[in-house]
Amino acid sequence: MEITVCIGSSCHLKGSRDVISIFQRLVSMNHLEDKIDLKGSFCMGECTNNGVCVCLDGERFKVTPLETEAFFNREVMKRLEK
Amino acid sequence: MKMHVDAAYRSLNKYGEELCGDKVKIIRAPDSTIAVLADGLGSGVKANILSTLTSTIVSTMLNEGASIAEVVETIAKTLPVCSVRKLAYSTFSVLQIFDDGTAHLVEFDNPPCIFVRNGKVVDLESRSELKEYGGKQISECTFSVRPGDVLALVSDGVIYAGVGQALNFGWNWDNVSSWLAKTSTKENSAPRLAVSLSEAVRELYLDKPGDDSTDLVIRIAPKSVVNMLSGPPVNKEDDNRMVHDFITSYGKKVVCGGTSANIVARVLNRKIETSINYVDPTIPPTGKIEGVDLVTEGVLTLSRTVDILRDYLNKEADSFYFHRLDEENGAAMIAKMLLEECTDLHVFIGKAINPAHQNPGLPSDLSIKMKLIDELCELVKKLGKNVEKVYY
Repeated sequence: MEITVCIGSSCHLKGSRDVISIFQRLVSMNHLEDKIDLKGSFCMGECTNNGVCVCLDGERFKVTPLETEAFFNREVMKRLEK
Repeated sequence: MKMHVDAAYRSLNKYGEELCGDKVKIIRAPDSTIAVLADGLGSGVKANILSTLTSTIVSTMLNEGASIAEVVETIAKTLPVCSVRKLAYSTFSVLQIFDDGTAHLVEFDNPPCIFVRNGKVVDLESRSELKEYGGKQISECTFSVRPGDVLALVSDGVIYAGVGQALNFGWNWDNVSSWLAKTSTKENSAPRLAVSLSEAVRELYLDKPGDDSTDLVIRIAPKSVVNMLSGPPVNKEDDNRMVHDFITSYGKKVVCGGTSANIVARVLNRKIETSINYVDPTIPPTGKIEGVDLVTEGVLTLSRTVDILRDYLNKEADSFYFHRLDEENGAAMIAKMLLEECTDLHVFIGKAINPAHQNPGLPSDLSIKMKLIDELCELVKKLGKNVEKVYY
């Protein structure tokens, strides 16, 4: 599965870097390195939303650093179990 | 072939002095570059006034087409006489390099110009003629330069570095020139060489320079163009034209801005690979597009680039500065390219208001990217490079 995190100016200021490092930690804690491909992307055009734009297999979400862990457990783990 | 002259200088003040008695002037005339180093008698305020007057008179008059005889005469007549020494005196060296590669060197009582080609010191003294103007012995020399050559004008503080302290008789000209010849093979940009030389001098003086010490390093650089694309065009129909103009230009290519990168990738039908490796937590990571040398985020990166270049112009750069310049973040990479690997900057600017910047979270001055680019262009001009802007 591919997780793409926006690192454009706007999202950067909303905490892309924290979101990415939380994802990185969760991926390695759960030993999912071979199942999850973590990527960055320049502006995805979702600047006006609150939160960093994160894309899971083409579906877009907005995630703040605080929600990242819950988002991972909810959305990412659910998709992996399928 | 047009020669580009990459010039940089550093001054150390005599220990305890607030002003430097040496003065460097670099003038970019339409067909040549004129670099002047003057060293005023004594130190502090008096020396500073003498050297400032001398360097300004020399560079202005030569730029207006006066002959060296007239220049020397003017200096002899205008310099104020020191009340203690009953003398009006400032040494000077002038190096004028024409765009066709002809160099004209005029020296009065300064240490001889150091000329390095292929890592070896070339003797200029045997080629120079001694002349007398208005009772002053002037040495003149005409020679030609080619890309890769390094020339240095130094004040006597550099030659005498460490005298009586680290070294009995100071560093001396032969050692300075062989040091420069050796170092020029390792560090091949004028700013780096000027700073290294200045730091070596400071060390020899054990951090307390006994005299004002200035070095002016000139490197003849082959023309090297950097093309920078930033911002989406006002009309979407112009996307193709802008990217086409950019990608077919000769030279290095940089794209600044996420939206711009997306446009370039879409028009060229190539993929953007974005790294998530944060070298510097405050600067978004860079990306890659085939055929483009560097892809970065826009405003945050550019404003840092502007800071780095402004620091170079305003503050005394030291080895720590170059440590910062060598960092692998997008902003430092652009700054390094503009400072050290660029003679001509071509900017392709899209004037559309970027929706990505209509975010209240962005600092207000950052949201005006156009202003940022204009500022960047001004700084690059001050560095002595040619800047061309095209708007879309």
